[in-house]
Amino acid sequence: MTKTASVLTGLLAGTALAVSVHAASAADPIKIGVVTPLSGTYTPIGQQVRWGLELATKEVNAAGGVMGRQIELIFEDEEANPSVAVQKAEKLFEVQKVDFLTGTVNSGSTLAVGQTAERAKKLIATTVSFADSITTDKCSPNVFRVNARAGQQSTALAAWVAKQKPKAKVFFLGPDYEMGRSTVATFKKTIEGLGATSVGEVFAPLDSKDYTQYFGQLRQARPEVLYTSVAGNDTVRLLTQMQDFGLAKNLIVVGASGTVTSQNISAIGSAANGFATGSGYSTQIDTPENKKFVEAFKAANKADPDLYGADSYGLIYFFKAAVEKAQSTDTDKLRKAMEGLEWMTPQGKKTMRGGDHQAVQPMYVVQVNDGKFNIVGQVGGDEAIGPDECTRF
Amino acid sequence: MAPFLDYIQFVLAPQMITGLSLGVAVVLVALGLTIIFGLLDVINMAHGEFYAMGAYLALALGAAGVNFWLLLVLVPLIMVPIGYVVERGLIQRVFNSPDRHVTTLLLTFGLGLVVEEGLKIVFGPNTQRPPTPISGAVEVLGVLLPNYRLFLIVVGVAIVAAVALVVNKTRYGAIVRAAAYDRNMAASLGVPVSRVFALTFAFGVALAALAGVLLAPIYSVFPTMGRDFIFLAFTVVIVGGMGSIMGAVIAGLVITQIQALASLIVSPVWGDPIVFSVMVLVLVMRPQGLFGRLGHA
Amino acid sequence: MRDPSTVLVRPVQDRLTLAMRASHVLVAIFVALALAFAAIGVAIDDTFYLRLATEALIFSGLALSVDILLGYTGLLSLGQALYFGLGAYVSALVLQRVPSFWAAMAAALVACVIVGALAGLIVYRVRGVYFALVTFGLAQVAAKAVYNTRELGASDGLIGIPVVPVDLGFGTVQSNAPAGFFLITLGVIVVLYLAVAYLFETPFGRVLIALRANERRVPFLGYSPRAARLAAYVLAAVVAGLSGALYPMLRGFVSPELLFFSTSGNAIITVVTGGVGTLAGALYGGVILTVLKSVIGSWTPHHLVVIGLLFMAAVIFLPKGLMGLVRPWIERLLRRTAR
Repeated sequence: MTKTASVLTGLLAGTALAVSVHAASAADPIKIGVVTPLSGTYTPIGQQVRWGLELATKEVNAAGGVMGRQIELIFEDEEANPSVAVQKAEKLFEVQKVDFLTGTVNSGSTLAVGQTAERAKKLIATTVSFADSITTDKCSPNVFRVNARAGQQSTALAAWVAKQKPKAKVFFLGPDYEMGRSTVATFKKTIEGLGATSVGEVFAPLDSKDYTQYFGQLRQARPEVLYTSVAGNDTVRLLTQMQDFGLAKNLIVVGASGTVTSQNISAIGSAANGFATGSGYSTQIDTPENKKFVEAFKAANKADPDLYGADSYGLIYFFKAAVEKAQSTDTDKLRKAMEGLEWMTPQGKKTMRGGDHQAVQPMYVVQVNDGKFNIVGQVGGDEAIGPDECTRF
Repeated sequence: MAPFLDYIQFVLAPQMITGLSLGVAVVLVALGLTIIFGLLDVINMAHGEFYAMGAYLALALGAAGVNFWLLLVLVPLIMVPIGYVVERGLIQRVFNSPDRHVTTLLLTFGLGLVVEEGLKIVFGPNTQRPPTPISGAVEVLGVLLPNYRLFLIVVGVAIVAAVALVVNKTRYGAIVRAAAYDRNMAASLGVPVSRVFALTFAFGVALAALAGVLLAPIYSVFPTMGRDFIFLAFTVVIVGGMGSIMGAVIAGLVITQIQALASLIVSPVWGDPIVFSVMVLVLVMRPQGLFGRLGHA
Repeated sequence: MRDPSTVLVRPVQDRLTLAMRASHVLVAIFVALALAFAAIGVAIDDTFYLRLATEALIFSGLALSVDILLGYTGLLSLGQALYFGLGAYVSALVLQRVPSFWAAMAAALVACVIVGALAGLIVYRVRGVYFALVTFGLAQVAAKAVYNTRELGASDGLIGIPVVPVDLGFGTVQSNAPAGFFLITLGVIVVLYLAVAYLFETPFGRVLIALRANERRVPFLGYSPRAARLAAYVLAAVVAGLSGALYPMLRGFVSPELLFFSTSGNAIITVVTGGVGTLAGALYGGVILTVLKSVIGSWTPHHLVVIGLLFMAAVIFLPKGLMGLVRPWIERLLRRTAR
């Protein structure tokens, strides 16, 4: 037993030595922790996050880094589980002593890690989670969001739908959980405000095998527009089964930005044609910055970027701009620098609103045609953003 | 009157027909499961992953240019040796442990984890979908029904009938039933029991893979797809009676109808809890399920 | 004249008592190692590893609950996370209103007794694979319900569970003090272990063990098999719930993932690796699984393959888990010293 104990002591002492820190000097890299799903359901999104961050970091480092310091990314797998995410975030804060943290995908992980950051007096940013609550009623002084939230997406999409089909009859089909319901509720409110009528709604359990069992209600309601907020595999099933059953004719199908993504679009195939969504990004954005980004992304990863990849790419430039403005990585100085910051991204200029830490950016309506997201509409950042509802800071 | 007819035509009837096609799918997955339990007295938690392997094999071979009709034969044939090896290499090792149910459940649970992760490594995490082999649809009473769904219902019935015929009417089936009823007796009569067990397990695995090939175009293919049907399939097997082919068919069709109608009349949210309650109710009232065990009828 | 000592009937060495005593020795070693670990942690001013170890201990409590059922009644629960999550959510809800450690633990205890007894009325009728599937189904339904309930934070879970002072009578420890809360958790888990071990030494425990050996004979001894199984089920629910109640104190949040099958599955892997029916195995297994996950997880995102393979190897080659390797050796030692 004493032998085991001494082995354990040795192990612990070794770790302690390895993690002992010394004061940061100018030559030391700036560490950014990335807690993102590398396994589990959200692996494909984690992959885009990783690719986006790595590409931007490579570019920044090649151009001399941030205030002369290189950026170092440290990845940890969160398995799309808040419990694991918090444990890994704590490891990055306490053991690796990272200066900043990002990467969380599901909103549960972002909220929980945000609280961990608050207790560790560090800052985090999400580049993916779009639940409104993160920058409204559950906002945190230590959490920033550089991507568009659900409300922004809804506003852009509703404006487009109202133009295509004034006073449309709309049917809603969402996944039956809080996020799915609130996304539907937001869109419903927006589109009804623009003169549309709701003719029915149905909520299907997550991972529904067969959406055909809801087609009866859909047929009976005879809608002109179908709004859906299902995602991932569920979208594949919903849209292909609708196509098989001949329901897609004479129906405009629109949905949340996570409904059709570069992860599932090839599996959906031609059934995705005509689908429209409000999104913060499209590879088709016609600016030199975006063209350069898409080209570099493709060369590095043999895949197109999606909005997760683009927003994660933009985050590194956000961080760089903030550190250079603050001339420090100190939490309070950095927070002050980030609030109200304007920076350039492939999507154009973004502004970090100081009141709720939500990025303001131009929003696009994109429509799928043969596997491509074509831009069919655009809404200015100020129109789409909505009021600041964060009261905590 | 018109709205009522409208309801029956556009809502109720299609709902029941799509419920039937889901029912056939569930029965196909449950068939191998119930045979493995009935004969070997083994709980195969990895059954869903064998179903996923079948779907992935179909996807990969289909992409390489193999014809869909050939896949229906080829994929189950590829899975037979895999199932055989799993039975001889893993299941047999714990077959004689004091608590076979729990031990095999644990072992196949571990196997399922490994296979699922393996599929992710080999094929990537993204959802994929093979093209629907039979396109087009027929119109029945003004409602469109895809041809492939109709094909699936017909093929499903044919497969179930063929399996029931093999188990109940052929010499091989007789040997299997004898071994299930009393393995010592069968062994003393010269039946190579351990080979029969391994082959039957392999047969069950091949059936799961065949279900994978057939269902992939409708339900799409992704690494965790095995978990999709497994709870429903287990429910069907339990309600029908572990090891009973007839029971699996009836339970499969009835339960999916209950689910389809519950989600229409009550709310889709209640579909799963209602199915679960049915299972619990059957277990409490009639623990052996609606029908008896294979070989014990 | 004969030597009087030879006339004295030496108490028969009961194999069960011996096995339990061996478990006590193993747990004593575990506690000693944990205390050494805490001392080192304090000495090097560590936060992360102490809190990680605290989490490992909390999940060991869940594994202990799985072992009560699997090891002593032969019933495999695939849904023990239901009670872990119940304890965690009840504790979180109480702490949001009254920041009291004892109130949270008491509420979790009451909730688990009530829900455990109600669910027990269904599950005590079924055995074997049926038990496994019913427990699985119950946990799925509960997880879905939590996932859909806005008042419980739905899919996002509840954040903002405050740091609580733990009043021990002779002093107070804050739940965010790494070493302090590690020791409290260790204390809770050891108390749970001792309570369970004590119960298994009483006639109730003997009935359970007799049930495993031969269920048909037990009623002839005047005991009801179903009542004993129901009691074991409620006991397991309480152990899982009290462990779960510690979770929000440590991490400050709860999420529906705590009720998911992966949580139950991890506990099963823990028990099988550590050793079914040893109680001590759950504690060692919890630590081993945590270490394995963080070591393997740091060099491959596919750690589930490795853990799955190790688990399969344990099922095949180590039916009594790691404790099965160590415990006979300690039993021999104990028998020799008793002589």
